[in-house]
Amino acid sequence: MGAVVERFMRRVEATPPGDCPVATQLSLLQAGIAQTCGKCVPCRDGLPQLARMLKRVLACEAGEDELSRMRALAEMVRATSDCAIGYEAANALLEGMDSFAAEYESHVLEGRCQAGVSQTLPCETLCPAHVNVPGYIALVAAGRNADAVNMVRKDNPFPTACAFVCEHPCEERCRRILLDAPVNIRGIKKYAVDHAPADRVPNLSRSVDTARTVAVVGGGPSGLTCAHFLARMGHRVTVFEAREQLGGMMRYGIPAYRFPRERLDQDIRGLLQAGTITVRCGEEINAERMRDIAGFFHAVYVAIGAQGGKTLRMDGADAEGVMSAVEMLGRIGDGDYPDFTGKDVVVVGGGNVAMDCARTSVRAGAASVTVVYRRRKEDMTALPTEVEAAVAEGVEMTVLMAPDSIEVDEAGHCTALIAQPQMIGPVKRGRPAPVAAKKPKERIKADVVLIAVGQDVVAAPFEEFGMQTTWGCFDADDKLRAAGMEGIFVGGDCQTGPSTVINAIAAGKVAARNIDEYLGYHHTLRCDIDVPAPVANDRTPTGRVEVEERPARERKLDYKSVEGGMSEEEMLQECGRCLRCDQFGCGLLDEGRVQYV
Amino acid sequence: MLGSGAMTNTIRDIAEQADVIMLVGSNPEEAHPVIGMQLRAAVERGCRLIVVDPRDIGLAKMADIHLKIRPGTNVAFANTMTNVLIRERLIDERFVRERTEGFEILAANVSEYTPEWAEDVCGIDRRDLVAAAKMFGSAKRASIVYCLGVTEHSTGTDGVMALSNIAMITGNLGKAGGGMNPLRGQNNVQGACDMGASPDDLPGYQKVWDDALRAKFEDAWGAPIKPERGTKATECFPAMIEGRIRGLYLFGEDPVRTDPDTHHVIKALDALDFLVVQDLFLTETAKRADVVLPGCSYAEKEGTFTNTERRVQRVRKAVDVVPGARPDTEVFTEVMNRMGYPQPALTPAQIMDEIASLTPSFGGISHARLDSVEVGGRGLQWPCPTPEHPGTSILHVGQFSRGVGSFSVPEFQPSAELPDWDYPLMLTTGRVLHHYNAQAMTGRTAGLDEIGGSSFIEINTADAERLGIADGSRVRVTSRRGSIETTARVSGKTNQGQVWMPFHFQDGNSNWLTNAALDSVSKAPEYKVCAVNVTPA
Amino acid sequence: MFNLTIDGRAVEVPEGSTILDAARAAGVHVPTLCHLQGQRAVASCRVCVVEVEGEPYPVPSCSTPAREGMAVTTDSEQLLAWRRTALDLVIADHGLNSTNYCFSCEKNGACELQAVCRELGVEEPGFPAREASEPVVDANPFLSYDPNLCIRCQRCVGACNEAARNHTLRAGKRGLRTTIEAPFGPAWRATDCESCGNCAQACPTGALVEKRRAGYRSWETKRVRTTCPHCGVGCQLDLVVRDGKVVDAEAADGPSNRGMLCVKGRSGSFDFVASEDRLTTPLVRNAATGELEPATWDEALDLVARRFSELKERHGGESLAAFACSRSTNEDVYLFQKMARTVLETNNIDSCARV
Repeated sequence: MGAVVERFMRRVEATPPGDCPVATQLSLLQAGIAQTCGKCVPCRDGLPQLARMLKRVLACEAGEDELSRMRALAEMVRATSDCAIGYEAANALLEGMDSFAAEYESHVLEGRCQAGVSQTLPCETLCPAHVNVPGYIALVAAGRNADAVNMVRKDNPFPTACAFVCEHPCEERCRRILLDAPVNIRGIKKYAVDHAPADRVPNLSRSVDTARTVAVVGGGPSGLTCAHFLARMGHRVTVFEAREQLGGMMRYGIPAYRFPRERLDQDIRGLLQAGTITVRCGEEINAERMRDIAGFFHAVYVAIGAQGGKTLRMDGADAEGVMSAVEMLGRIGDGDYPDFTGKDVVVVGGGNVAMDCARTSVRAGAASVTVVYRRRKEDMTALPTEVEAAVAEGVEMTVLMAPDSIEVDEAGHCTALIAQPQMIGPVKRGRPAPVAAKKPKERIKADVVLIAVGQDVVAAPFEEFGMQTTWGCFDADDKLRAAGMEGIFVGGDCQTGPSTVINAIAAGKVAARNIDEYLGYHHTLRCDIDVPAPVANDRTPTGRVEVEERPARERKLDYKSVEGGMSEEEMLQECGRCLRCDQFGCGLLDEGRVQYV
Repeated sequence: MLGSGAMTNTIRDIAEQADVIMLVGSNPEEAHPVIGMQLRAAVERGCRLIVVDPRDIGLAKMADIHLKIRPGTNVAFANTMTNVLIRERLIDERFVRERTEGFEILAANVSEYTPEWAEDVCGIDRRDLVAAAKMFGSAKRASIVYCLGVTEHSTGTDGVMALSNIAMITGNLGKAGGGMNPLRGQNNVQGACDMGASPDDLPGYQKVWDDALRAKFEDAWGAPIKPERGTKATECFPAMIEGRIRGLYLFGEDPVRTDPDTHHVIKALDALDFLVVQDLFLTETAKRADVVLPGCSYAEKEGTFTNTERRVQRVRKAVDVVPGARPDTEVFTEVMNRMGYPQPALTPAQIMDEIASLTPSFGGISHARLDSVEVGGRGLQWPCPTPEHPGTSILHVGQFSRGVGSFSVPEFQPSAELPDWDYPLMLTTGRVLHHYNAQAMTGRTAGLDEIGGSSFIEINTADAERLGIADGSRVRVTSRRGSIETTARVSGKTNQGQVWMPFHFQDGNSNWLTNAALDSVSKAPEYKVCAVNVTPA
Repeated sequence: MFNLTIDGRAVEVPEGSTILDAARAAGVHVPTLCHLQGQRAVASCRVCVVEVEGEPYPVPSCSTPAREGMAVTTDSEQLLAWRRTALDLVIADHGLNSTNYCFSCEKNGACELQAVCRELGVEEPGFPAREASEPVVDANPFLSYDPNLCIRCQRCVGACNEAARNHTLRAGKRGLRTTIEAPFGPAWRATDCESCGNCAQACPTGALVEKRRAGYRSWETKRVRTTCPHCGVGCQLDLVVRDGKVVDAEAADGPSNRGMLCVKGRSGSFDFVASEDRLTTPLVRNAATGELEPATWDEALDLVARRFSELKERHGGESLAAFACSRSTNEDVYLFQKMARTVLETNNIDSCARV
């Protein structure tokens, strides 16, 4: 029985993107029916009646009146069920009817699913940049690593960055989950860039010079992506970067042991070769300069990221030894490494940046490193692997502890973090929220306190220039046109709030296409790489190969890369697990792909 | 200069292999729809597209660059592009050195055609023109595809020469995915030209004034042929009015509807002593004839058509001739016999054998061969000199038919009639998808009329607003030659100051308005530009 | 080139061939349904499945690339059983009741589903058949789509999107069911549909058809391959003839049209042939009344010969002119210009190439 439940879980996990939400709701309801104990009427008899109605809705055979009858019955089941089995089944249906109201309406009124409902390749769809994943996996397997790098670059000019630090949403619904576990897509990409460094792979062909000029403000992943694609289209791009070097948070946020600098430089060198890109580092842009740029260039892309470290308002926050994560990691980006020898370091926060700070502190020689977090460990927004790695390197996780104040000595130096113990409480907006526990405050000894509780967009100069913001982020429409401005586009962290590298890349790509259209072009970027034909699927359940890591005791002594790579035989086995959804199933259909020409 | 008006390449090699296609004065999605489909496929496979057209045709949406030039400024745009290509050194030097002559003269002559100048004359952004030149010049295989938007001007021949300069200096001749490719309008307009329906040319472009060639035909036909070149059709109309031409045999033509300046055409036909019209239907022209002879449709006879790729393909008899009509060749044979020439009654296959025997480029073509397994229903592309020759899919491979290619440098001249105070708008005419020319065929399918069966005029939103014209309202369109009523379609498809009309529809036929000004060489009329005035009806 | 065996027969095929191509090259017949030559295979029907030695399950021959050394079996009992089951499932969902079990279907006798069922001995649905009565979409003047008969093979989707590249006909979803969003509904005028009918030609069943298909049964007709009479593309087409009358036109795989036609070629290339207002007798103008009146061929031809001769004698051949038709055949035009040069004694011969 356990095996069936496990299979069932995998089946649910592998739900392909693009399915009709009504169909998924029906599956959920039917799972509920299978769980009834058969005692009470609402659950035993009500759920099957609901399923019958929902089937008719799904098949577009029901009318609006049936929808209201279904709602009435579901409300009765939810209200009168004896236990949670009936309650939650009806509750899920009712919430779904609200969340997907437009889809239900389309079924009963239009007799069809809403436009856009149609299954698409899971990996390619869920990758924000829509990289042709099965394509490059097949190329790596065929030993064509350079072609694989270019197949990634067709949609994403940062193959190396994504090989090291991508959160790989592509793996979330991998069809392979149906059989065993998702393909290690990131690991395969890492194999490709390890064997064909991005700066040594010539770029895909570019279009001819259009003599149109575009300014990109911000040399991070989003800005550079936009610059790269615009250059491939034949436009002339100038990138303005306030810091000394390009890379944005990939250089000034992500520590080198996760993403070695020389590897970042490979991506940057590679993507700059795509066309006419002029880089101007060390130029901070104020409102007046921005006005000049907007006047001179045909279009501008603002992608300044979220560079300001959030602070906590508490006593002692300005003491010596207290600094923001952004500040410390930023200095490291330009080679200014801290020395924490013999010091006790406390890191406040539970995200990836907090883990980066903690693990960097270990490498800086700290006597102890403690992460202090308000919620539980499982509530941390950091990737579980990051948390695990930090623990392995000796970082202490002190959870359910909210910072209260910082203890300062007479010299103005911080000596400890005073924290209020917490208790986990009700779920708010999808996450359990902490509440103060009836326990006394605790003192956690600290010579250094690193605040890693989020980042802000430094928007003021651009607001002065005339750009609008909401909650500190720039306003833009779905084409990334800055609200109320002509020819100004904006995207990445500064528009969405702090997010992942791949989301920033995706925004840069979207911006490039929209800028191209704005300039009056419709460039299609050519990619002449032929993807190897598939062999029949090997459906034998096989374990997932993980990328090898250096042992914690060794790696924590230096800033060198933590990760190794797959061996050739591991790579071949892992590539062989790919089910080539581009060639089997919906991938063969016109509407099954999310590929730009 | 390139020879006869025929595609140098095939539709397929252009669609599958070109890196850049420059489409000039052509709207294949409507006028050559199956080519339109293949061009869409070309763009979707990654081929770049430059559209040069005064109007927002459907393919302009797919284009990398749309040069929305003012009607009648093709020569200006093409010479400027040539100049930019030379200045940017985007030329195929080896091709120019080995296969052409007169490059230095060309370079000197086009040097005045700067992008800044063209910006004003053509009404486009010079950066777009420069970008288009670079896109075309840097491609490995770049094809020029053009249509009546180039030729139907008083400077049409100049436009073609100016474009062929671009193809030559970039070395895009004689290779797959390149070439100079006119899309010929009618099903067999290519064949009609090939077969010697021309005042200058005997079949296969053998010049009538060449004594040796003429002697060959005289021997074969057993009759003398006049050595002087004849009068071109469009020049015949003034000649009729002047009494120099008194008798006319019209085979399947309806100039009252299709020729420019309808008043003028009617006046000419009415001046004739004797007019014979042979047609399927009692057309507007036939109504003015002295004798009307029933014609025979393509479905009722054997024969061949030659498509725009020079491909000779079979026409086969599907049904019997309608009772009362006779096969057209039989009618001509009868007329010849009754006028004292002993023309034997030949089948179409025998006629093709006679053509092959007299026309070197058709030497290897026969009905039997076209029907053979060897040809496999794929036709034969001339030149096909011998029965063993496979036909020629791409012209000018290795060398030009006349040795080296020479450049000619046409100077830009404005259209014969430009807008003025009285007639402030520039009218261009063209085809729509669902009909063909005078609708003799398409007008007899009810469904096509249901999709689009009446005349309209496209007018720019700003002009319409100024003139008080609403979308869908009736308007009167007047030129120096005539006046018609039609329905307004208000949009941004045409630029301000320009209007566009289809020429198919009898309810408001644009040819009452168009100008019969002729190109100095080809004598094609200027359908594409005339000045009109539009008012609410 | 790859060498492989199909049912033991050795065959050599170029790279890029499918197993189906190889089978055809080897002279082995593999039944197909959703496959359309020249179109990217969707491999939805599974009728063409074959066994490949060493592979764990059968593969569709239409979409599986041929490889060096493959040993393919196309005719095992197991394959036949699977093919029959696939067809069983298709016809159970084919809305057979809506055409009175094929009797009233326009494609009866020309239906590829019917043909392959017959070939494989599937004569009635083996599963409970769906009773279908969805409305037919048929506001377009030429085309109609009957969702009841649609087997969702997606050939029409390929025809519109991959061949004609018009992108107006697409697949849609109705929950779990794939549907075809045919742009022939009441709002057809507002769509980009060019009514080219390439979708209808691609449809293997009676689901998506040219409406005139209802007017004839294919066994009553013969086909004549010819060249389209409209523009200069030179599309190859088959005229469909019944009782001496052209009733339809279908695209042939010509070198310039590659299996496609436009709306004019497909729907506007034959009605005029049998049009009521065709001229069926010569007409001669009565000098007294000024009206055109019917005459015999002899009267008309004699008059033509006499008047042209008179004008030629009085004013010379240069006073005569002849314009040929750019729509007529090469043979017609050749003889016409020969007539002009020999008996009219003029070079004033031209065509409408300029207009």
